[in-house]
Amino acid sequence: MKLEELVKSINARILQPDNRRGPEITRVFASNKMSALLEQAGPETMLVTSLANAQLACMAELMDCPALCLVDGTDPDPTLLETAVRTGTTVVLCQLDMKEAYGRLYRRLCGKDCRRS
Amino acid sequence: MITSCFPIAGGNFVSAGSASRRLKEQLKWIGVDGQIMRRIMIAAYEAEMNVVIHASRGNLWVRFDRGQFNMEVIDEGPGIADLGTAMKPGFSTASAEAKKLGFGAGMGLPNIKKASDVFEIDSQVGKGTRVRSTIYLETQPAEEFSSRGLSIQPELCIGCLDCLKACPTRAIRVWNRQPRILPVLCIECTACIDACRQGVFTIPDTEDEHLRQQSASQMFQPTLVIPRAFLTQFGLKVPPRVVLAALRNLGFKDIRFTEEWETELRRTVRRYALEQDTYPVISPICPAVIRLIEGQFPSLIPQIAPFVTPIEAAVEACSLRSATFVAACPGQYSLLAPAGLSGRLRVISSAELSARILPLLKDQAGTATNVWTQSPRPSKKGNNNSAVLEAWGARNVVEILEKTEKGLAGDFQTLELSACENGCYGTPLFQENSYAAKKRWSSSELERWRPVKAVPVKSPYMAHPGMRLDADMGKAIEMLARIDELTAGLPGRDCGACGAPSCASLAEDMVLERYPGLECTVAREGGES
Repeated sequence: MKLEELVKSINARILQPDNRRGPEITRVFASNKMSALLEQAGPETMLVTSLANAQLACMAELMDCPALCLVDGTDPDPTLLETAVRTGTTVVLCQLDMKEAYGRLYRRLCGKDCRRS
Repeated sequence: MITSCFPIAGGNFVSAGSASRRLKEQLKWIGVDGQIMRRIMIAAYEAEMNVVIHASRGNLWVRFDRGQFNMEVIDEGPGIADLGTAMKPGFSTASAEAKKLGFGAGMGLPNIKKASDVFEIDSQVGKGTRVRSTIYLETQPAEEFSSRGLSIQPELCIGCLDCLKACPTRAIRVWNRQPRILPVLCIECTACIDACRQGVFTIPDTEDEHLRQQSASQMFQPTLVIPRAFLTQFGLKVPPRVVLAALRNLGFKDIRFTEEWETELRRTVRRYALEQDTYPVISPICPAVIRLIEGQFPSLIPQIAPFVTPIEAAVEACSLRSATFVAACPGQYSLLAPAGLSGRLRVISSAELSARILPLLKDQAGTATNVWTQSPRPSKKGNNNSAVLEAWGARNVVEILEKTEKGLAGDFQTLELSACENGCYGTPLFQENSYAAKKRWSSSELERWRPVKAVPVKSPYMAHPGMRLDADMGKAIEMLARIDELTAGLPGRDCGACGAPSCASLAEDMVLERYPGLECTVAREGGES
């Protein structure tokens, strides 16, 4: 599913880049632990987190992760955005908390009737 | 071989990740597969962040060598006092600053280990920590299964053909006076080493000249894992107690025997067998026997108890510290080699170790007492020796497995099979007669029991598909028919003059075109008399 379509379900805003529909996303993973994010990050995976430092974008770059969704209305560190611009990582800003955002993204991605395993 | 070094600045969260980024560029140039790249990146980034979080500085060394990626991250940091605790998921000593950034979840080292094929760590408090990770760059196809544990010196061969007759799996050929091993058939036992009086076959020499020039204390790791038989190789006047003391003087602080894990495996499998419905259960005590079953008796694979061999259990037990291993056979060497390549686990030959301690043995004579104190033997509860069949020697093992396959060994609960006579006492890499060596050991009263565990297999034992004539079943059937036809036309003497161990083997070699110009020597020279 295109990112643009996916983020509508969480009323989020695509910060970077602002003129594209965003990458194709087939998987979402949420955590506030870098090690957990690192282990799960990969192509077509959007990471959902309230972390907002430059290391997040660096890790996404290393793991070829196309998109980051920052929850809780967290203001991203300017260096995060700089790194994201350099590496072409899409950054999405969302006001919802992590559980709510993840739940909505999951339902949107897997269908209304699906359950979390 | 490509070697690179990427410096890491401790405490600098802004530049953190740059070493891994540069490594990734290199991996792209090499064309490393995506999934492998992912694993390398996890290991490299976690290791790099450990340096950034805990140390003042460090270096990330990488080496691409023989289809492997080897990474070594060395830091100048506080070191880790308790590696066992540090490896536990969730344990962390990271600063509040690191935790605020999402680090310090205590998953760094476990993640590196999980991403690696071989993982090692050692640390000295106040000096620093060294993490090593090996990741295989590609999976090895079954058809390229190789006898990693055997090396051949063809220039020593006199063409006596003794090896041809000795090999229990007919894996040896002598073409153009050059002995060769068909890796697909070789089970890495010691039959060829034992048969060859010229010393053509041996296990590979792992140490290069640079290492040889190092002093013993630099060369060897503090823990030594050896077969007990090693202590009995120095004759009547040098009892095991003296050899043990000499090894201690050489710098080995902790000396372990592979039999510690073997004994525990035997006990565990005997207990495991009591709960099974199908007999006999095969105890995986000998790597060569396991390879034999995987290659030639695949129907017996479900009967192998799901535990790793003792040498693998020993490697697992020593995974968090430095250790030197002496391999008793090509099979053990083959299992040790992947861990040994990364450097921290060192594999040396018994000859090399013998050469090192010989000068020390004279000084030790008569002085080595109370080397160990005896500790109580473990309970024999659960052991049912009457239902256990112990057998030694590759040919005996083949015969018993044939009977087992035909259902003629169901009266035994457990099979404990070793390719060498008297188990590891009988390896031809040691000089002493196996019975004499075993008796000397049992008379030495040096037996010591320490709690060790049998280790369950991580992946199940699998049939070795390399035995197939062709991946296409139709073609394989055609080839089989041609082999039968050719074999019927050969004299059937199994003389070995052609370089194959039997007429059937020659027919197989001809059909598979293993070597140019193969023919029956007897037929060429005028047929049978």
